[in-house]
Amino acid sequence: MDYTKQEMMAIAAGREIYDKELAILGVGLSMLAGYFAKKDHAPNLKDLTESGIYGSTPVGGLPWGVEDNRIAANATSFTNMIDALGPMVASGRCDVGIIGAAQMDKFGNVNTTGMWAEPANPRYVPPKTRLAGSGGAPEIASGCKRYIIMAAHEKKRFVDKVDYISSPGFLTGGTARDGYGFPGGGPCMIVTTLCIMRPDPDTREFMLSEYHPYTTIDEVVSNTGWALKVSANVKMTSEPSAKELENLREVDTTGMLRKKE
Amino acid sequence: MANKLITIQDAVAEYTWDGMMYSHGAGISVGCDSVSFGREMVRQGRKHLHMLTHCCTQQLNLLCAAGAVDKLEIAFTGLEVYGFPNGLRRAVESGKVQIEDYSNLTFGLRLLAGAMNWPFCPTISGFASDQEWRSGFKPDEYPCTTKIPEVTNPFTGKQAHVLAPLKPDMSAIHVTMADPEGNAIMLGSEWCRFELARASKKVVLQAEYIVDTDCMRQFPNLVRIPDFLVDAVVYAPFGAWPQCSTGLYDSDEEHYYYMNNCMKTDEGFMKYKAEYIDSYKTNSEFLAVIGSERAGALKKTATAHLMDPYRKWIMSDEQIDELTKKGGR
Repeated sequence: MDYTKQEMMAIAAGREIYDKELAILGVGLSMLAGYFAKKDHAPNLKDLTESGIYGSTPVGGLPWGVEDNRIAANATSFTNMIDALGPMVASGRCDVGIIGAAQMDKFGNVNTTGMWAEPANPRYVPPKTRLAGSGGAPEIASGCKRYIIMAAHEKKRFVDKVDYISSPGFLTGGTARDGYGFPGGGPCMIVTTLCIMRPDPDTREFMLSEYHPYTTIDEVVSNTGWALKVSANVKMTSEPSAKELENLREVDTTGMLRKKE
Repeated sequence: MANKLITIQDAVAEYTWDGMMYSHGAGISVGCDSVSFGREMVRQGRKHLHMLTHCCTQQLNLLCAAGAVDKLEIAFTGLEVYGFPNGLRRAVESGKVQIEDYSNLTFGLRLLAGAMNWPFCPTISGFASDQEWRSGFKPDEYPCTTKIPEVTNPFTGKQAHVLAPLKPDMSAIHVTMADPEGNAIMLGSEWCRFELARASKKVVLQAEYIVDTDCMRQFPNLVRIPDFLVDAVVYAPFGAWPQCSTGLYDSDEEHYYYMNNCMKTDEGFMKYKAEYIDSYKTNSEFLAVIGSERAGALKKTATAHLMDPYRKWIMSDEQIDELTKKGGR
């Protein structure tokens, strides 16, 4: 295998971002997935970050943040946070977004806020572990026509019930999300270092849809904290092509995706 | 012409106090923030702050490590690709700081509502998450028991959700350039500074460059903070360091990690305070602490061309010193 699991994950996410779409790219590896898509197969992708930086191509490697000079160097427009997350995303205009997750459940609800030792309580209890907070992910989760959840595949991240819903997915499944009037359609896939999961159209439960070439269905299932159902049409993810790897590595010039497994 | 230039020491002494509702920010964790202003607040020993921080920066990390913060309303508590802020994490997990979580857009809308003097602001995100009902501050400190309460939309009869406005006592806002009266131009993402400047009761600008007002007359469309919103202007080169200021310098990878690492313990914080807060008073002493070699390397930014249209209006340090001496009000 001449690529890393992180590279497979970025390519698998990038393949689901299409030409001429409007995409919001978040901090870190998800940004590489988006700019990879633009370089590889979506040259007319319209990209934005929540800081209001539009139409840029990163220079010098993975940007340190959504407002970093590495993407400010050649942007076509600078606006602001309310513009990027309001009229562009929460309004329902944006086609696709990518968010990360420290913890997620089978209905695609995401926790990036904190881990608690005790059950959810409306009154303030300090978290056992404080995480990064929600940032703009709730806007992507509410407004984007579809969005991708991207995370390293570790059993502890995939749980029956998240400690805190930072960004709502399908909530309790079925039609639970429909009553809130969100313009966005909800999470369309979970991409991990081992697999791709997609939601069942009726129950909205995420099921194993593709497993990456270097793993097995059993390995994916045993590394998932909830009882992961396997889709009847499950198949292997296609290997990254030489062209895909070349394009990804041209975006990831500092090798962030090759640093660790 | 009103000349509002004062020193950073005078600005902190005059415009901040213990227990205040303090806001800051500009870019988020990596972009420009008024970090120098925060260093001065630590030096002057501010305590019991109620922070309104849109997104975590090294300024908030530092103030948390200093034990200066009691309450915090925030949307993002990471440092983006630089990781987790150790000072903030320690303060939150120990229970010293109580956190109220919002999302990036809902936090910005609260500032917009404060700026507009609206009673509340509708939102189409933030609810259906635990941000709707889990409160950092005691629910009985609110007149309503939910943080993002549900109301009936009078026009459709359907449910809607609303946010409470924010009006900081004061905000210290980083800008790329300001004139002595407080007209300001920001390069790069504006983030939420337009709304923040209008929601705050007092505004202190921290500027990388002081420029002649003719610059503002040449680019009036770009002046998003007009002078009459501004109480004081502070000249602070490298004022966002170790974060970046678009058009001027990149973020300082080595120092960024070093600073965050120091915030892990009280001893580390004290060491950092001695090295990088108590060790200078003037701008030139601060630049000496950063070091000319390091500063020179950071200035080789791929965004440098963004400053080109403005250079002829930049005032010299001598001009600024003179204005600062007789300035203020």
